[in-house]
Amino acid sequence: MEPLSSFFAVSTILLGIGIYGLTTKRNAIRILFSVELIYNAANLNIIAFARLRNPPIVTGQVLVLFTIALAAMEAAVGLSIIILVSRLNTDIDLSKLSKLKG
Amino acid sequence: MTDLLFLAFAAVTIGAAILAIEARDLVYGAAALGIAFLGVAGLFFLLDAAYVGWFQIAVYIGAVVVLILFTVMLVGPKKGETPLGLKRVSLLAAMLVSLLLGMTGALANATAFPGPDSCGSGCALSLFSTSLLKSYGVPLEFMSLVMAAAVIGALALSKTDRGE
Repeated sequence: MEPLSSFFAVSTILLGIGIYGLTTKRNAIRILFSVELIYNAANLNIIAFARLRNPPIVTGQVLVLFTIALAAMEAAVGLSIIILVSRLNTDIDLSKLSKLKG
Repeated sequence: MTDLLFLAFAAVTIGAAILAIEARDLVYGAAALGIAFLGVAGLFFLLDAAYVGWFQIAVYIGAVVVLILFTVMLVGPKKGETPLGLKRVSLLAAMLVSLLLGMTGALANATAFPGPDSCGSGCALSLFSTSLLKSYGVPLEFMSLVMAAAVIGALALSKTDRGE
């Protein structure tokens, strides 16, 4: 069995990829991809830390179950916002969305 | 055996995640994102969280990726994104930072997190489900409430007004 730190390493790399996508991309769907990747990094971290004790802590798995459900809801609401924006704006470049700017 | 499996799942996850961010076509990006979710689910299986792994496959690949694909097709093909100025440099920097952070995570305290033993009865599904329904029953119900609110909100957002 691999040591748990390698799972943490995978989680950290996923977080890095997600942050890279968040900072450099402008397409709204691409940014949603990045957010989902960051969610997955957090889930992997929680599961690995819950496995640290033997027998493992069940709370971690329950927490990840809730997180996955919340991420699915976040994707549903975010995608409906993207559809709305594309209908109003014909472009989903986030840097051009300045309608609500004061 | 598990080492090989771990390496395979980790490589698939990281490669597909990079492809999801960098693929030129959004459809390919969504497919790569699904493969990355599958890799994470495999890592969950390796960590003896089989139920969470199946849940991840059902929700992420069954729902989220399909939703994203529908949205990509509804929003239509893009004429090409306008890249930010320092794209090369930021790509290099991000790869370097994630590599360094990952190496640090792997090397820092490799002895402090020894490999878990075989899980035994501590990982039984019955323990998990009893805990989910008994200790976390109220949060579970709240979660379904939030889910209903989110679905209604999404429907209300994307509703078209025929009058306008």
